[in-house]
Amino acid sequence: MASLLELRDIGKHFGNVTALSGVSTHVEAGKVTCVLGDNGAGKSTFIKILSGVHRPDDGEYIIDGSPVRFDSPRDAREAGIATVFQDLAMIPLMSVWRNFWLGSEPTKSFGPISWIDVAHAKSTAQSEMRKMGIDVRDVNQEVGTLSGGERQSVAIARAVYFGARVLILDEPTSALGVRQSGVVLKYIRAAADRGLGVIFITHNPRHAYPVGDRFLLLNRGKSMGDFAKDEITVDEMTRLMAGGAEMEALEHELGTR
Amino acid sequence: MSDTAQSGSIMKSPSDERISHRGPIQRLLVSPEIGALVGALLIWAFFWGIGATFGTAGTTLNVLDSAAPLGIMAVAISLLMIGGEFDLSSGVLTGSIGVLVGLMATHFMNTGAPIWFAILVAFVTAGLIGWFNGTMVNRTGLPSFIVTLSTFFALQGLNLVLAKRLSGKVLVDGAEKAKGFKFFRAIFVHEFKLPDFHGRDGIYVGLVLTGVALLTFGLLEQAFVRREKAEKKSVVTALGGVIVAVASFAALLNNDGVANNIAFGILLAAGGIVALYGFGRMRFEPKAWPTAQTDKKAIRVAAFGAASIVLACIAPLIFDRNQRKPFLTWLPSSGRVVLTVIVVLVCVAWLAIRQKRDKEIGHTTRISKRLFTLVIAATMVPTAVLSVAQLTTVQAVRAFLMMAAGSVGLVLLLRARSLASKASRSLHLIIGASASVAIAILAIVVRADSGATRFRSGLFTVMMIVASLIAANTLLESSLVKRRAADPRRDKLGRRLVASGAILAAGGVVVRIIFTNFVAGSGEQKGGVSLVRMSVVWWLIFTIAGAFVLSKTKWGSWIFAVGGNKEAARAIGVPAAVVKLNLFITTSLMGCFVGVMTLMRYKTVVASQGVGLEFEYIIAAVVGGNLLTGGYGSVIGATIGAFMMAMSGIGIPTAGWNSNGRLSFIGLVLLIAVLVNNFIRRKAREAQ
Repeated sequence: MASLLELRDIGKHFGNVTALSGVSTHVEAGKVTCVLGDNGAGKSTFIKILSGVHRPDDGEYIIDGSPVRFDSPRDAREAGIATVFQDLAMIPLMSVWRNFWLGSEPTKSFGPISWIDVAHAKSTAQSEMRKMGIDVRDVNQEVGTLSGGERQSVAIARAVYFGARVLILDEPTSALGVRQSGVVLKYIRAAADRGLGVIFITHNPRHAYPVGDRFLLLNRGKSMGDFAKDEITVDEMTRLMAGGAEMEALEHELGTR
Repeated sequence: MSDTAQSGSIMKSPSDERISHRGPIQRLLVSPEIGALVGALLIWAFFWGIGATFGTAGTTLNVLDSAAPLGIMAVAISLLMIGGEFDLSSGVLTGSIGVLVGLMATHFMNTGAPIWFAILVAFVTAGLIGWFNGTMVNRTGLPSFIVTLSTFFALQGLNLVLAKRLSGKVLVDGAEKAKGFKFFRAIFVHEFKLPDFHGRDGIYVGLVLTGVALLTFGLLEQAFVRREKAEKKSVVTALGGVIVAVASFAALLNNDGVANNIAFGILLAAGGIVALYGFGRMRFEPKAWPTAQTDKKAIRVAAFGAASIVLACIAPLIFDRNQRKPFLTWLPSSGRVVLTVIVVLVCVAWLAIRQKRDKEIGHTTRISKRLFTLVIAATMVPTAVLSVAQLTTVQAVRAFLMMAAGSVGLVLLLRARSLASKASRSLHLIIGASASVAIAILAIVVRADSGATRFRSGLFTVMMIVASLIAANTLLESSLVKRRAADPRRDKLGRRLVASGAILAAGGVVVRIIFTNFVAGSGEQKGGVSLVRMSVVWWLIFTIAGAFVLSKTKWGSWIFAVGGNKEAARAIGVPAAVVKLNLFITTSLMGCFVGVMTLMRYKTVVASQGVGLEFEYIIAAVVGGNLLTGGYGSVIGATIGAFMMAMSGIGIPTAGWNSNGRLSFIGLVLLIAVLVNNFIRRKAREAQ
């Protein structure tokens, strides 16, 4: 099956600092590709390239088999690549349904006056989220009253509804507790099951492993390998992420083994 | 029938037990407007009570007239504030526009331009100023506070320079001689003459009575659990009550004797209570009381409440009503010091006692928290006492004491009643009845005592109605099962009844206000006509348009989003810069509108006009529940806030106070409104 999105030998420099070099991976429709890396591994540069904030200096960014160049996040969005940033997903003081539709409100109009079709907006928001298995109790409630996991879930449902083909999730579980993380992971899987390609960026192998189909490991701006699920285990991932031998030395020192 | 169908659908989609339904009242309580609404009603009642002419059509229209420019700007500023920005240049801009149009009309090309041209130039200029403000904020990322502050000073200087250079003085006049002035004056500030409409009382009484009835039924439907089948026996009770009430009301309408009025009034109240009770028994599930207990706390609270009411009743006996001299002037400064020390000592003693008692029952509160309260009390109370002593008259202290002790007493009694509702029926009934009787007694005291006729009869009636409502409410609550918070979701009937009742009653009041020309207190017919200015109509239009944009259009959503979190809004795809630019331009254009309107109204403009008004706009918006930090608020609230400020402007001189006190009053109102807003919203959210 052809890849939805593919990256070949992507590199990015900021002045004389090499933020990324030689990173390759791909994501297929209905699959989840996880990008793992510790702090400073180049995850944020990677996500900014994917979402069109930065342009790569080297390598190719390929969508549906042909190379693309994004000049702005808007270009990426129009190509069907939706990014859910960790802190920027929602406006807390606005209601769930307004957040769901923000930027693409369904309107009715009479002459020059147009207004939001509120009834339709509310019922669609509710039913779309229910399709994803998200039960927001009341779409009128403010997003600020939702839990962190629910907020990420609403953002995911929104991206799915607005025709995203590739969904990029920036550390959606990093600020969440165990149960909440589980909820978000469930929706990540649900989004993939609806035919989207998902790129899930995280620093937690235990979150990545259960949902991922592919794993790209980054360390200090370099790829530590791009594995299919049957090629790697959680422990190996943890080891590679931490820079392999360094972590072993540390564990030895601490006497945990 | 519809009930079963709806509960079926609810069972299909399991609802979360953590969230309960928000009824219309709950929703109103969490809405941003609530503080302004409560405040406006209180201020209205306050001035209505102390000012002889406040509340008549004449002053109401004066209030509206002075509120209109403020209200239009408050709408614009509230939109801007929700979008997360300020415009400090908006006040002075109204003056600049006045100067610009005035000078164009008198000095352009030596002969003066036609008004339409001057206005056109003014709007273009205002648009450019708004564009400048918006672009500066967007491009440089400077806070709008700084950017518009510099615009403010630039414009103010320009006003003075232009006015002095061209007209030789700081006052620009003569615009009314320009071509087309009359035409535009009609558009901006035309006076509509309202005839005296004689059918108004009938319509008023009819609408208000129907509205109140619907409201009552709606509230009952929402408050209590319905029976499966109506209980037939109680129909007789209900009908009997209705007949007595209607008959006594009819008698009341056809009677002028004071003694008879009271008799029929009491009959009316009794009939109403019996009717409500009968209706309640017929339609709602009866309550089964658990084994009777006594609640000592309830009794204690009730005793304090009763004592407070007694104090309110005694107050008029202690203080002389006609004493208009400052209170406590005989007290030398050393006496004031002693007073302060006494208050501080009392506070400390209270703190010690509380702390000791808490320790005994093993309940510890951090002393720092107590200390804070203590410091506040120790500084505020003497200050308040002393300032009251210095500034107000014996009469005012007496009125204040009656009002404060009376309301505290009522609140305590109602609190005791709600405590008793968990103990026993008899206790609940006794406390409820004493609350009702206490209010009635207080009403009689007020009536017997107060000097102002209108205030006296009005307050008496209101208090008597409150007393009968409390009685009816106690009776119903002690005999019927209350709905749980989650249930009223299904009750469309109650909701609709409440909404339509409120609309009808409000409509009745509006009819009365618009078509009343006489000063009600003296019964004197002023004759002539009422005037509503076009500016008020514009205010209404702008408010509706603003509220529509904010709540119903995508721009409204975007304004909230940009104000709530600009970066997130941009990441989601909202054109944040465009939204902000539009907001600044809109604010300036509306400032221009108000500037032209003011010039048309007064025909002259002073170069310093509008300076300082920007803060009034912001205050109106904040009082109306708009957050200073953006992302939350309401246009309707801002409009109510503007109305409130205009009310204090008109009400203070009406009350015979120094009109310069207006600013201090507004400062106080701002603080109280914001506190009330926060408090109510927090409580309502907690209660959800």
